[in-house]
Amino acid sequence: MNTTLIMSGDYSVIIVEGRVDTTNAGEFEKEVMAVVESGSEKIILDCSGLKYISSSGLRVFLIVHKKMLAKKGCLKLCSLQPGIKEIFDISGFSSIFSIFPDKQAAEGD
Amino acid sequence: MDNHNNQKSLLVSNKIDELNRVALFLDELGTSWGLHDSLAANLNLVIEEALTNIILYGYNDSDNHIIEILLTRGDGQISITIKDDGLEFDPTKMRDPDTTLSVEERPVGGLGIFLIKQIMDKVQYMREGKINYLILTKNITL
Repeated sequence: MNTTLIMSGDYSVIIVEGRVDTTNAGEFEKEVMAVVESGSEKIILDCSGLKYISSSGLRVFLIVHKKMLAKKGCLKLCSLQPGIKEIFDISGFSSIFSIFPDKQAAEGD
Repeated sequence: MDNHNNQKSLLVSNKIDELNRVALFLDELGTSWGLHDSLAANLNLVIEEALTNIILYGYNDSDNHIIEILLTRGDGQISITIKDDGLEFDPTKMRDPDTTLSVEERPVGGLGIFLIKQIMDKVQYMREGKINYLILTKNITL
């Protein structure tokens, strides 16, 4: 798992790559929460390079979503690979997250 | 196809880091069996969810324990047997989470076993003596 933060207009874009599983979900949570707590009000999680996620990773997505909602901030996801989208669908996460086909669409909405 | 290649097994100890070995094992198995990447990832996922529960909640001692993972393919299906000597735990009896709740209402966690049940076609649990057997079956089209 690797995360990269880039600033794009009003958005803090966190690019997450590789696998988010039980072995590294804690690290992933720390990295994303650091951006949330730095005061970013608009965050996009770019999942184009996310290859694998387990319930430990889904848990982090939900925690971040709850935190952003409590702060009245905005969290968007983009570019989910089909296998990841399937897991989001099964978990009911597809209906609680704002998911966009790509970063451009997420920024434009 | 020789029978030998229709069964693969892996022994892991009760440490979370072992999930990295499981991922490598599933990668190799996916290549060897010619599985679609998404199927290999889903098999990895259900094994991770089951193992995580066993490793984190299955033992009330700090000893080293061996958990056996056996994958078998045949008759249009792949089955996974996970055998551990942890506390008795029947995941098939767990209640499913409500996936229709809003973000605020959704409890954090509790998705692992649900993912196993949704991804696999059959989930069976047996306790024999002091051993838990979890048998997960997925129908596949060859």
